[in-house]
Amino acid sequence: MTAAIPTIAEAAKLIAAKQLSPVELTQACLDRVRKLDNRLCAFVHLTEKRALAEARAAEAAVMAGGRKGPLHGIPIGLKDIVDTKGIPTTCGSKILQDNIPDDDATCAEKLAHAGTVLIGKTTTHEFADGGPSFDLPKPPARNPWNTDHFTAGSSSGTGAAVAAGLVLGGIGTDTGGSIRGPAALCGIAGIKPTYGLVSRAGVAPAAFSLDHIGPMAWTAEDCALMLQALAGPDPRDPASATQPIPDYTALLGSGIKGLKIGVIHHFHETDCKVSEGTRRGIDAAIATFRELGAEIREAQLSPLQDWQACGSLISITERAAAYDEWAKTRLGDFSGRVQRRLMLGALVSGVDYVQALRRRRELRAELQAAMSGLDVVLTAAAPGEAPKIDNVPIWDLFERPSFTIPFNVSGYPAISICSGYGEGGLPLAIQLVGKPFQEPTLFRVADAFEKATPFRNTRPALVA
Amino acid sequence: MAAEISDEALDFLLARSGLALTPAQKAELKSVYAGIAGMAERVRKPRGHMAELAHVYDFTPADLGEDR
Repeated sequence: MTAAIPTIAEAAKLIAAKQLSPVELTQACLDRVRKLDNRLCAFVHLTEKRALAEARAAEAAVMAGGRKGPLHGIPIGLKDIVDTKGIPTTCGSKILQDNIPDDDATCAEKLAHAGTVLIGKTTTHEFADGGPSFDLPKPPARNPWNTDHFTAGSSSGTGAAVAAGLVLGGIGTDTGGSIRGPAALCGIAGIKPTYGLVSRAGVAPAAFSLDHIGPMAWTAEDCALMLQALAGPDPRDPASATQPIPDYTALLGSGIKGLKIGVIHHFHETDCKVSEGTRRGIDAAIATFRELGAEIREAQLSPLQDWQACGSLISITERAAAYDEWAKTRLGDFSGRVQRRLMLGALVSGVDYVQALRRRRELRAELQAAMSGLDVVLTAAAPGEAPKIDNVPIWDLFERPSFTIPFNVSGYPAISICSGYGEGGLPLAIQLVGKPFQEPTLFRVADAFEKATPFRNTRPALVA
Repeated sequence: MAAEISDEALDFLLARSGLALTPAQKAELKSVYAGIAGMAERVRKPRGHMAELAHVYDFTPADLGEDR
């Protein structure tokens, strides 16, 4: 691992052993923010004073034998659609420029309770939608591997901040791929947990039945440590699941011998062809899993276009309903990209929406059947390396189906992890999908891959 | 679902939605109508009137009188 930027797991061990000061760790993150964020635009609001106070409190507690757990003293960032009491939460929009919430979102509260240190609020696409916009109060985040390139979104700032070591972990939200996309293009790990596992209370909605909250960090192990603090029932979220919470790190290091991994080749070979580098990365990942003792099988689902149509119709409609009032009265205050997305709501009928919900049930049953003899499924996470930031299509939802949306439609957990680097020097990624509430298996497979490959040893050159 | 929409039909939908669009926005929306029509077509399958969704009520102990 890069010595200058520890993972959460590494930092936690050092803090527990009193060999690393949370204050020094926080100071190092803030130094990198000062050095790099004018180029990365990963933060929209810094909470430096609060961070140093929390770090000092963490240090005092650890020294007094009161360490709370592995997140105590760990610097993090929260996507700027997550409510934070007394701290601006703008959702990246002119409309909420002056919004200061009275309460924390449940996920913010849980991370604070675990002892994390809040460095600041990270850049988001406006209301977690639309794409990189240059007509908003703050500029879009840029990819630390090459700042001319896109981070993907909408959790763009968290992706950039984690990759560049401005924080060790952060919160993203995912309605069609907004955790896994930035994780893929920024070369980090990001998990969209099972629907309902992490409370959405206090997080601005994008599309209520597709919205998920989850951790983004340098490794799958770090995501597991964060999910441990985040998961659990919440009476403030009507979709909150009541499943018992397992130990998400329990299976790490136990190997993957005998596990059955299904590969959905047609997603990236037929439905949405990927770059040559991505295809080679997927093939190499399959070979790695085979060497680690997993059984590789073929899996087949309906074409990606079917999942995209279903997810898009649901997303367009639920978003239009959520932002109906502002769309009618303040449409011009949204970015051009979000105005376009909200306009689409006028074209989808109530019958279209219900037909999409019916299709969703069929697609979910199909995935359930496909996974019945498997432990996890492997797919592409993104079509290739990050595009230039000024070359991101406005109407991408009609141009190319997403590899990530099937698992918002189905609610199944899915993680994106780095699977190498392409010809342009930018990260490549794979997506692993688990059965509902089987996140421990997902972390086990992702962690085994990361530890068997060298891709976690390289940080973006601008960090050096 | 037709792949094109007339100006009159688009105006009707926009009036119902309450969105006030510029002529340029209307033209752009009209240009992507086929994309939405294609998606709507994809989710329609011959499934019959009995293939209805379930709705799940998340009853609390208080709803069920179990808190007394």
